[in-house]
Amino acid sequence: MTAAGVIAPFRNLFRHRLRTGLAMAGIMVTTAMLLDMVLLAGGIERSFARLLLGRGFQIRVSPKGTLPFDTEATIPRVGKVRRTILSDSAVVAAGPLFGTSVYARRGDSLLTLFGYGVDPSAQALYQVESGDDLTVLDSTGVLLSRTVAQLLPAGPGDTVTLVGRLDPQVAVAGVERRLVVRGIVRWLYDYKGQPSVGALFTVVQDLAHLREADRASALVVKVRTDAEAAAAVDRLRAALPALEINSIAEVVGRFRQRLVYFRQLSFILGTISLGITVLLVSTLMTITVNERLGEIATLRAIGVSRATVVRGVMLEGAALTLLGGLLGVALGSATARYLDRILTSFPGLPAAISFFVPEPRSLAIAALVLLVTGVLSGVYPAFLAARAPIAATLRTEAT
Amino acid sequence: MTTHATDRPVVLRATELAKDYPMNGETVHALRGVSLTVRQGEYVAIVGPSGCGKSTLLQLLGGIDTPTSGSVEVDRVRLDRLRDRQLTRLRLMRLGFVFQRFHLLPVLTAAENVELPMAEARLGREERRARARELLGYVGLADRAGHRATQLSGGEMQRVAIARALANRPAVILADEPTGELDATTGRSILDLFRRLSLDGATLVVVTHDERLAAETGRVVHMLDGHIERDSFG
Repeated sequence: MTAAGVIAPFRNLFRHRLRTGLAMAGIMVTTAMLLDMVLLAGGIERSFARLLLGRGFQIRVSPKGTLPFDTEATIPRVGKVRRTILSDSAVVAAGPLFGTSVYARRGDSLLTLFGYGVDPSAQALYQVESGDDLTVLDSTGVLLSRTVAQLLPAGPGDTVTLVGRLDPQVAVAGVERRLVVRGIVRWLYDYKGQPSVGALFTVVQDLAHLREADRASALVVKVRTDAEAAAAVDRLRAALPALEINSIAEVVGRFRQRLVYFRQLSFILGTISLGITVLLVSTLMTITVNERLGEIATLRAIGVSRATVVRGVMLEGAALTLLGGLLGVALGSATARYLDRILTSFPGLPAAISFFVPEPRSLAIAALVLLVTGVLSGVYPAFLAARAPIAATLRTEAT
Repeated sequence: MTTHATDRPVVLRATELAKDYPMNGETVHALRGVSLTVRQGEYVAIVGPSGCGKSTLLQLLGGIDTPTSGSVEVDRVRLDRLRDRQLTRLRLMRLGFVFQRFHLLPVLTAAENVELPMAEARLGREERRARARELLGYVGLADRAGHRATQLSGGEMQRVAIARALANRPAVILADEPTGELDATTGRSILDLFRRLSLDGATLVVVTHDERLAAETGRVVHMLDGHIERDSFG
C-alpha cells in the first residue's frame, strides 16, 4: 500500500465524518433500493419457475387459451387425452388434476374447502408433511392441508365427511363421501392459510358430478429429460390441437409477459437509484476536491503524477460507494424479507412464491454496476483535481 | 557554509526569464528577464520586498509554472522541452520543495508523508521505511514518526516537510519562505537545519524575508520589481 495511492483516500473519507456519514446513508438507501429492485425484477419469475419444476414435471396441459387453474374451464374426456399423451415416446408420466369447491362437515355446519383431485402416481401439487400419501387405488383416503387439519380438527387416521357442491342449475343433491385422513400435506400452489383437501382424481370428480364427463382442470406431464421437453410439446400440440400445451419455460415466459410492467418499474426505480448515487458521490467528491485543491497542488508540485491524483480521487469515490453499498445490502436484504412477508400473505398468491429472490448472477451484476457507478462518480472530481493549476493554486493558498 | 565555487557543475540555470500575469484586464510583469545560475552545493537566498517576483521565480525554477519567455534548466535539462509527465518526474526525482505552509497531508503520519515521494518513485516498502526513519532522525523527529501531521507543531511540520523534500535525494531544494509561518525560536531551529543541510552538501535556493536566514547563506540574490537588482556572494 502506498501513502498517496491507497491510504490517504481511505483516511480522507473520515476527515468530515458527518458529511461522509450522510453521503454514506444516502448511498445505503439507494443501494438498498437498487438491490430490492434487482431481487424483485426477476425474483417472482425465478420463484415461479422453481415452484413449477419442483416436482419435476416439465409440461402443463390446460384448456385452450388458458394456463392451469387460470379459469374454471376444464378438459373433457381426460382419460383419452392422458392415453394420447402417454403414447409419446418421451413421456414417462402424465397426471390429471382437478380443482373444485367441496365442503367438510364440522358438527352441524359445513366448512368450505378447496378440493384437489390427483393421481398420486403422477402429481405435482403437494408434498407430504406427516402421515402417508394416497395410493392409486385408495378411493377412501384423503389428504388435508395443515389449515384444514386445524379447522376440523382432524389428523391421520381420523374420518372426515366431504360434501360435493350443490349446483342449483342442475338441481342435483350434493354427494357425500366419508374419507379417512391419510396424511397432512403442503399444497404447493396454495396461498397462505388456504383450506385445501385432496383425494383421488375420480373421488373429487364424483363430488363435483363430473365423473361422467371425465373432466380435468389440467394435466402435468413428465418427460425423460428436460432437453426433450420442447420437442415433446411440439408433438403433443400436433396430437392434441384443441388443448393448450406448454413447457415450463413457456409458462414462465407467459408469466413474464404479465409482469413486464413490474419489471419496467423495477428497472426505472433501479436506474433512478443509480442516478442518485452518482449525484451524491459526485457532489461530495467535487466539494472535497475543491476543498483540497491546495493539497492536490502540493502533491503535483512535489512530483506526484496526475494519474496518482486521479486514482486517489476515484478510489475515494469507489470506497465511499463500496462502504455505503455494503450497508445498503444489509438494509436491502432486511427490507426485502419484510416486504416479501407482506406480499406473500396476499390472498390468491401461492405462499411458496417469493417476490424477492436472490440470484448470484444478478447480485454480482448489481454489485459491479454499483462499483462502476462509484468509480465513474469520481471522474468529474478527478478531472478537476488533475487539471488544477499548480502555481496559481499554491499562490491562492499562500494568501 | 558554501561560497561561490565556479568549478562546480551548474544544477540550475534560468535564462532571461519573464512572467506576465493578466490581472483585472491588465498585464502584470512579475518577472522581467531574470537570469540566474546555481551551482551544486550553493546555498542561495532570494530576497526582496513583497510582490518583487521572488516566489514566481522559485515556481519557475521548480517547473511548477511556465515562463512567458526565457528558459530554465535543471541538471542541463530544459524544462520547456519536457512533457507534463516528464516534468512531473523531474520534480519528483531532482527537486525538493519546502513551502511556507508546510502542505503535509493531514491524514498521513509524519513517516507516511516522508515516504510519499518515494512511493511515487516506486521505491520498495522496506527501503522507503528505512529512508523515512533516517530522514526523520536527521530532522530530529525520530520519535514523532507515527504521529499524524495534525498532531505536530508548526516547527515539526516544517521539519517533516524538509524530510519529505529530501526523500528522493534531489539535486536542488527550493524553499519558499520556510520560516514565514513560524515564531522566532522555531524559525531559528529551521535555519539551523538548513545550515546543516548546506554543510552536508545540499544545494538550496530559499526565498525569504528572514534577514537571519539570508545572512547565513553564501549568496543573496536581491530582487526588485521583477528583476535581479544585486547578486552578492558571501
